[in-house]
Parts: sequence; structure tokens; C-alpha cells
Amino acid sequence: MDNIVQNNKLKSTAGRDQPLILTPLQDMRGFLFHHLGRLLLFLITCSSMLLVLLIFFFVIREAIPFLTKFSLAEFLATQSWYPEAQPPKFGALSLIVGSLYVTISALVFAVPTGILAAIFLSDIVSLKVRDFIKPVIEILAAIPSVAYGFFAMLVLAPWMQTKWGFTTGANVLNASIILSIMVLPTIISVAEDSISAVGRELREASYALGATRFETIFKVAIPAAHSGIIAAIVLGMMRAIGETMVVWMASGNANQIPSPWWDLSQSVRTMTATIAGDMGETPKGSPHYWSLFAIGVVLLIMTFLLNIISEYFLASAKKKAGGY
Amino acid sequence: MQKGNDNMPISALEKEANLDHINSVVSLGQKASPGINEKKPDCKRAVIKSENFSFYYGTTVGVKDITMEIYPCSVTAIIGPSGCGKSTFLRSVNRINDLIPHTNVEGKLLVNGHNVYDKNTNLVNLRQQVGMVFQKPNPFPKSIFDNVAYGPGLQGVKKRSALQQIVEESLKAAVLWDEVKDDLKKSALALSGGQQQRLCIARALATKPNVILMDEPCSALDPLATVRIEDLIGQLKLSYTIIIVTHNMQQAARVSEYTAFFCLSELIEYDKTDKIFTNPVRRQTEDYITGRFG
Amino acid sequence: MRHIIRQISDKAFTILTGTSVVLLTFVLLIVLGPMVWRGVKAVIFKDTVEFRKMQLDLYNRGNSANLKLENAETETFRKTVYKIVDDFKHGIDTEALVDKSKQIYRQLGKELRYKGITNEEYQRIRSLARELRDRLQVALESNDKKVIKENIDYILQYHLDENLADTSAVEFFALAEDFQQSVENIDLNKRQQYAGSLQQIEEIVFHLLGPKPGDPLPALTMDRYGATRWDLAQKLLDKLLWSEKWIQQEVDQPLVKIRASRAEEFAGTKLEPLFGYIENNLVKMLKPELTVYWQYFIDDSTPGHYFGGVGPEILGTLLLTLLAMLFVSPLGVISAAYLVECASDNIAVRIIRMSINTLAGVPSIVFGLFGLAFFVLFFIPLFGGPSKPCILAASLTLAVLTLPVMIKASEEAIRSVPQSYKEASLGLGASGFRTFIRVTFPVALPGILTGVILSLSRVAGETAPILFTGAVALGPLPKSPFDPTMTLSYGSYDIAVGDRLAMMVPHNQYGMVVTLVLLILCLNAIAIVLRARISRKLRGQ
Repeated sequence: MDNIVQNNKLKSTAGRDQPLILTPLQDMRGFLFHHLGRLLLFLITCSSMLLVLLIFFFVIREAIPFLTKFSLAEFLATQSWYPEAQPPKFGALSLIVGSLYVTISALVFAVPTGILAAIFLSDIVSLKVRDFIKPVIEILAAIPSVAYGFFAMLVLAPWMQTKWGFTTGANVLNASIILSIMVLPTIISVAEDSISAVGRELREASYALGATRFETIFKVAIPAAHSGIIAAIVLGMMRAIGETMVVWMASGNANQIPSPWWDLSQSVRTMTATIAGDMGETPKGSPHYWSLFAIGVVLLIMTFLLNIISEYFLASAKKKAGGY
Repeated sequence: MQKGNDNMPISALEKEANLDHINSVVSLGQKASPGINEKKPDCKRAVIKSENFSFYYGTTVGVKDITMEIYPCSVTAIIGPSGCGKSTFLRSVNRINDLIPHTNVEGKLLVNGHNVYDKNTNLVNLRQQVGMVFQKPNPFPKSIFDNVAYGPGLQGVKKRSALQQIVEESLKAAVLWDEVKDDLKKSALALSGGQQQRLCIARALATKPNVILMDEPCSALDPLATVRIEDLIGQLKLSYTIIIVTHNMQQAARVSEYTAFFCLSELIEYDKTDKIFTNPVRRQTEDYITGRFG
Repeated sequence: MRHIIRQISDKAFTILTGTSVVLLTFVLLIVLGPMVWRGVKAVIFKDTVEFRKMQLDLYNRGNSANLKLENAETETFRKTVYKIVDDFKHGIDTEALVDKSKQIYRQLGKELRYKGITNEEYQRIRSLARELRDRLQVALESNDKKVIKENIDYILQYHLDENLADTSAVEFFALAEDFQQSVENIDLNKRQQYAGSLQQIEEIVFHLLGPKPGDPLPALTMDRYGATRWDLAQKLLDKLLWSEKWIQQEVDQPLVKIRASRAEEFAGTKLEPLFGYIENNLVKMLKPELTVYWQYFIDDSTPGHYFGGVGPEILGTLLLTLLAMLFVSPLGVISAAYLVECASDNIAVRIIRMSINTLAGVPSIVFGLFGLAFFVLFFIPLFGGPSKPCILAASLTLAVLTLPVMIKASEEAIRSVPQSYKEASLGLGASGFRTFIRVTFPVALPGILTGVILSLSRVAGETAPILFTGAVALGPLPKSPFDPTMTLSYGSYDIAVGDRLAMMVPHNQYGMVVTLVLLILCLNAIAIVLRARISRKLRGQ
């Protein structure tokens, strides 16, 4: 690219007479500045990569003592989570299942609603109305999770108890409903982007053949956008699994797998809530402490995998749309 | 080389513009801008020569094997159908093509005897001596004053008074001063298209270049604005070497002394404008001029 | 036919999708509506004279002269309440009376010793007093009005005995007389029941009006004042007028809650007028007034957030978020600048982009773990700092959390600067660096600012990352970056899951969380307005 400007001794007419050749000094200075400058910027930008590595390193580091001393199989496959018992038992299965329960139930609510809303925004309303509705979604996305948890605990839970006679208002259903509200904005925005990106030509071809709007959307637009929609769902799932405050406050924190499996009125405990809840009372460097980091590693791996999957689908969506 | 080819019908608009032009010339003569008269620039030095110059975008040819010499203190027009390499060549002169990745160059492109594509070219000085006006007016989203003062600021002029003088000179040279002198702090984006383009010209003039490159400067402007820019070019050629790329043949005929015809990335013919438009040597040139293709 | 089905399904589908969006709006209103409504009541509400007393004592606010006047006015009405209760008590609270009589007896004994009488006399008077005391006790504890009358009359015989004149025995007789009067209207069989209810009623009155004038000041601040809010007072009034009992209405059925009027329960007794009186005169006893307690946002709060505001929490949130933005903004903008201006599509850049996306996907609690393991336990001690949760660690953690957001927003802003500006600047002889500083960056600045504000709003609401890195639920104001702090986010969590104490002040619970939500929504609104202005400017170009 470019070289540095000369020194301030130039007068206003000087530009005209300046040589077009760089002196060796100027050349070197320019070279240094240019390349050193770029190097410096590059190093600063590498900070994000550095941080990711640090996160993995430090979280795994604190989990390793646990994994060396306690059985991984027991950790992943048994349900007894009694870290303060003598001897302590670290069976995290119910925690993992708890997270999955809450996530999948949330998706059951959020995915249909989200995709329908995305279709509404991309195909059915004009740009002006869309600009009017977008703020609603942005506000839903902006509300902090602790406020949602607050609502779940103090408004939704008592209402559930009185209206439906649940033994407790803090259960899978409560947490799922609130989580679905939280992931809706993510699903809607990514899905809407990919449905819109399908472009007018495909739609026009369908309409020209006499299809109704419903048919065009379902038979043409959505299949064309399916990678993006899958990516949206995966991203929503990622958000739901990683959510802490809402599930801590609204899922009941009971270390169990609901039986029967379809009874959503029972309480569960998620991985995130366990970490958040236990860490405060756990002495640093104890097996309990390490086990919490081990749960953190599980979370990290799960979200990392989901991230890769969503990246793949987003990339494939871009390819199909011809790179928008 | 005055405007108005006698063979072509002059519309009412143009007639009006003609009168305007005459008036403005007269008034200009009365308050001759000091900048142009005092320090008559040494544009004789600005010789641009290309020797077998070729430019490639990756594997696609931009221009091939161009050999020509641009004459100082005159207007040289480059015409030709779209995609023939006119802008590519123009943008190579001040190396603004560097913004595009994966390009390569063959041959030499000399400005004042120095090959601009040489590794040790002082690009900063080059671009200050070879100014550019772009197709779409692109004033910075700053005030009129700041736009024009940008170039001198880069050159190290810091004193307010010096900057003010340069700004005034440049705006007068671009025939914009009277229209904006009352409020130089106004945003440049508030000006009309034609005024913006004249502002861009003033901005380019402020660095006291020897050469001005113009890449289709009027294509985004309405006819009235176009007329004023063409007038301005007529004024400027007294002191600067101007290369103008245009797809409007009539414009080329109006403003330039020399014309180069590019076609399919090659230089087909280069001669005095009269000759090109009345008696071209090459068949292709004649076909293009007469509208058989393009 | 098929055509009609297709048309109907088309219409139905359109309605269905529209419903989903309507549902969203509906949900938004349901979630925000009640919370904001209840939260606003923490600042705008009807306060009482107790509130003003509390403000004067704890925060030195208000006009003490006016308050004295108000106090005096309410006193006159409250006296009646206390009188009614005391009167009734004398007929019921026999244990206290028994103790009192024993105390009088002992006092009498002491006085007699100083009276200068013969030992014989002393013994005689003492045994007389003992007999009176025992009889009084019998009377106090008896449920039979006849027995009572008998004993009291016996006691009162000695009312004018000169041996007992000028001694504490006078109180003795007063006690006996009072008792006789109070007992007249009481159904003594119900005494137990009355005693229980009376205790509840006294407690409610205590919460309503504060400690009785003349009683020693309670230790806990929250007990020193009556109902500071009119809505709380109304709730207490309801508890006063109606008692709730769980009753087994049918055999083998779960217990049912029954509301019974207390006035009826005490029908015919001296306590009965209390209820009507309090109901009619509560306004005069508490003097409610509509007030805007804007100092809510500045005040500290008493333990448990019983009184006071969320000042320290707001301060903590601001400290954390501004410090985090200070760390992350240069990093984010420079990274974005590199990615847009200098980066070529090689493997290093692709890895960096992947890292940014990975960072964006890490759950917030894992950031908390990272903050704990890295910043608190490693990084800050590396530079000689203390290895405990503090503002510095928490804001660094938040900065890492929000880095991807900053980079994406800045990249978008820088990319949206038209290429023509860059060309113009370079064409005038500016270097790439200068072009960026003087042309590209100023144009991208509003977009970058929008990104900063959006990051700010996200960071303000985060709770999980600061749980183990710097947030506390209760503590002094931080004096240095190495202290932990209270924040709105963690405070909202703590007050929501808090104990019974927190449940007693719902307005404070909602107040804190609504302050957080409104702060975040304001920031978002600013960002939205900024963004609209930018797009208008770009379009207008």
C-alpha cells in the first residue's frame, strides 16, 4: 500500500517539486512503519484467538484434577450428585439431562413460533411494518436474563401453582417457556435473514406458475433457506443450553430426571445452575471445585460443537444463495 | 478547441449556457484569480509517457501494450466503448489501482521520467502531483473548507491563514468560490451534484498538482452542470495537464486537444482531436465515431 | 374445489404467521407490564408519616418541625388505639398482671423494712399482703366471674387500711379494680383464644404504627418504624380486620382457608370498637401522601433492602460496565480495523474469525469460570494484586465476553464507509493510515458508538460472569478496583430468591429489577435512534 508523508517542512507549493523517488531512508521508514504497523495490528487482532485458547486452557486446567482422580464414566453416566458427601459422588447425568430437557422443551415452543414469525416478517408484511415490528423483537432480546428469571420466579411460578395446581411453580415447563421467549429473537433474526436472502427470482418463478403465497413459501422459499433455518435452530439451542440465570431461578434445582419423562411439571437441575449455585460455597481446590469446572468443560465442548455445526450450515446457506 | 461542434444542433439549453459562459469569461477576465496568473505552474514538466504498458486484473487483461505520450498543458481525452480499459489506464497513472488486490503490471508508465510502478516510488508525492477527480462526486462528509484544506493539511500546511489562502485560491480556480464563499463551514454534502464535483476539482487543485486526471467527471451530472465543468476544464488547461476519460464523444470533441481511442484493452489511435473526429486513420476508430458500435 | 382449499389454507397460513407476531408482542407486554408497574411503585407511591420519620432519621431528609407537628397530630388518634388494647389486655393478660402483683408485693416488703415498725407488725402486714396477693392471683387466673368477684371484693376491703397507705399497695388495689372492671364484659372461657388473637393483633398494630411511645427502641432498624407505605398499611389493615384460618371442612379433604371477621370474634368485648376505629381513622394515624421518592436511585439500603434504595447497586453496575467498555473498545475497534483494512484471506485471518465466533458462543457461566480461574487466581496476582473477586476481575471478564459483539459492530460500521472516500483521500496523497484516521474512522464513528452502547447494555444485564469474579449481594461501597461491589443484576437475583424479609418488600424487589431493565432499554433506545440517524444520513447521501 502506501508510504508515510514527508516532514512538516513542506510549503504549499512544494508538492509540485518533490521528487517521485523515495530516498533509501524514506523507503526504509515507510517499509518499517507499514509492516511493523500491520504486524502490531495483527497481534492485537490475534487477541481474540489468544483469549479463546486461554479460556479452553484455564477451564480445562482446573478440571483436570477432577478427571484424573474421579471416573469419567461415573461423571457422565450416573445420577448421584453428592459432592459434599463422604465419599463424594459426582454423577452429573441428571444435570446434563436437565439441561437437555429444558433446552429441547424451549425449542419445541420457540422453533415453530420463530419460523412463523420469520416468515411473517420476510414475506408477508411490507418493509415499513417490518421496521415497526423489529423493535419488539429487539426489546425481547435486550431484556436481561435476570429480569426474565425474576418474572419466572415471582410472577409465572405462583400463577402456575394457583392456576394449574402444580406442587411447585419452578419446574421444566416454567423454565422452558421463559427460555423459549429468550431464544426467539435469535431464531427469528437468523431465520428471517436466510429466508429473505433466497431472493425474489425464485419466488417470482413460483408465483408465475400459479402458486399461492403459502405454497410458495413452504415449497420454494423455505426449502431453499433450509440451511439457514437449521443454523437458526442450532444457534437458539446454543443459547438455551448456555443460559444460567433463568434456569437457576425457575427450574427448581432438583437433582432428578423427571419420571414419567413427559411430566414437565417436575423440577430439574441444569449444568449451568449447578455451577452457579455451588461455586459460592465451594472451597477453592477441593474436588467439588474441580468437578464444577469439569461441568464447565462439558458445557464448553457442547456449545463449541453446536457453534461449528451452525457455522457449517450458515456457510452452506451462503454458498447456495450465491454469496450474499 | 472551443465547444460547440457547428454540425450539431444546439439546444435552447446549450444556447443559454453559451451566453452564461461568455458572461462568466468576461467577468473572470475582470477579476483574474491571482493564483493562476502569479505562480504559473510549470506544467511543461508534466510529461506522462507509457512504454508498452500493460495492466492485468489477475488473469484478465485491463490494458495491453499501451505506448503513448501525453502532451503537457493540454487536455487529452481517452474515449472508447465500455470495458476497453480507459479507466484502468487512467487510474494507473496515479496508482490508485493499488486498492484492487491481485493485479500485475508490465512495461513502464513514466511520470516526469520516473516509472511510477517502480518499487521505490514515493506514492504520496506522486498523488499530490497527479490529482484525480472521480466519476461520482465524492466530497468528504466534512465542511467545504475542510474538504479543500485536506490535501494541503497532508502536505504539512498548518497555519490557518495559509490554509485559508489556499482554499480561496482553489475554490476560485474551480469557479465555485462565489457560490460558497459566504459559508465555508457548510457541509459539502449539502451542495448540488455539479457543485460537489467542482468542489472535488478544487480539492484536487489544492495540492498544486501538475496533472489532473478526470475519470468521466460529468457522467453523474445534469447537462447544465456538465457545461460548467467543461468550461472549467477549458480554464484549467492553461495551467495543468489534463487527461479526461469520457464515453461522451461530443464532450471529447468539445474540450480536448488530443484524443486517444481505446478499444478492447488496446490503444487503437492517438492523434489531435480534429484529426480523430474528422479523418481517423483506423477503421475501428471510424466505426466507433460514427456510431457503428459502442 | 382444490382451488378453494388452497385459497383457504393460504389465508389461514397468513393469519397463523400474523398470530405468532401478535403473540410476541403480547408476551412482551405480559413480561414487562406487571414488572414495570410494580417497580414504578418503588419510586412513586403513597407514603406515610412513618416513612417521613424514617427518612429524617436515616437520611436526614425532611422538615423536622413539620414532622413534629404531624407526629403530634397522629399521636392523639393513636392513643385511643393503645388505650383500647391496654384496657382489654388487663382483662386478658393475666400472666403479666400476676407478675406485676408479685412485683408489687416484693416492693411492699422492701418499703416496710424502712418504715420503722416492729418485727411483729412487719410480719403481720406482710402476711396480709401475701394473702391479698394470693387472692388476686386466684382471681386473675379464675374463669369464674363469681370467684373473681368474691376475691376482688375481699381485696378491696383492705383498700383503706392505714397500714398499707402510702405504699406500693396502692398500685395493688388499682390493679384489682381495673381487673374487675375489665372482666365485666369478657367471656372468660374464651380467654385463651383471645390471648392468641390479641397477640396477633398487637403484632399487627406494632407493624402498623411502630413501637409504642415510651417503649424501648427495638434493635433492628426495620422494627423502629410502622408501615412506611400506604399500600403496606392497607395490607396490614386487612390482616387486622380479617383472620385467616385453615379449617378441615370435610373429613379426608385438604384443609380450606376461611376468612373470619375479627370484629365478630371480639363481639361484645372492650376490643370490639378497635377495629372500626382503626379502619376509620387509619388515614389520620398515618397521614398518607403521594410522593416521588427519586432518591431511590441514590440511597443506600438497610440490610435486606427493607428501607432505602438501589444507589450502590447502580453505582456498581456503572463502574463495572464503563470499565469493561474501556478495556474492550480499543481492542475491538483496532481488531475490526485490521480485519477490514488490512486482512487478506489467508489461514491466519480465517482462524481469527473462527475464534471470534467461538468466543461469541461461549456460555456466560463459563466466562465466569474463566474469570475466576484466570483473572482472579492468576492474572491479577501476577501483577501483585490480591487474589479475590473484585471490580477489576469482573470488568475484565465482561470485556472478554463482549469482545465479539464489539468487533462485529465495529466491522460493520467500518465496512459501511463508502469506498469512494478512501479513493478520494488516497488520490490526494494520504497514506492508508492517515486515510483511516482522518476519513474512514470519523465516518464510521457513529456506527461504532452504536456498537459500544449495545455492548454496554448487554454487559449491564449480565449476572453469571460476575458471580464469582466481583459481585456481592451486600457490602460497603467499593473504594478501589480491588474491592467487590453490589450490582443491579446480581442484586436483583439476590432479592428475588431472598428470604421472607425480601418478600415483605415487593416494591423493592421489583424496583431493583425494573431499574435494571429500564436502564438497559434506555441504552437500547439510544442505540436504535443513533442507528436510524446514521442510515438516514447514508441514504440521504
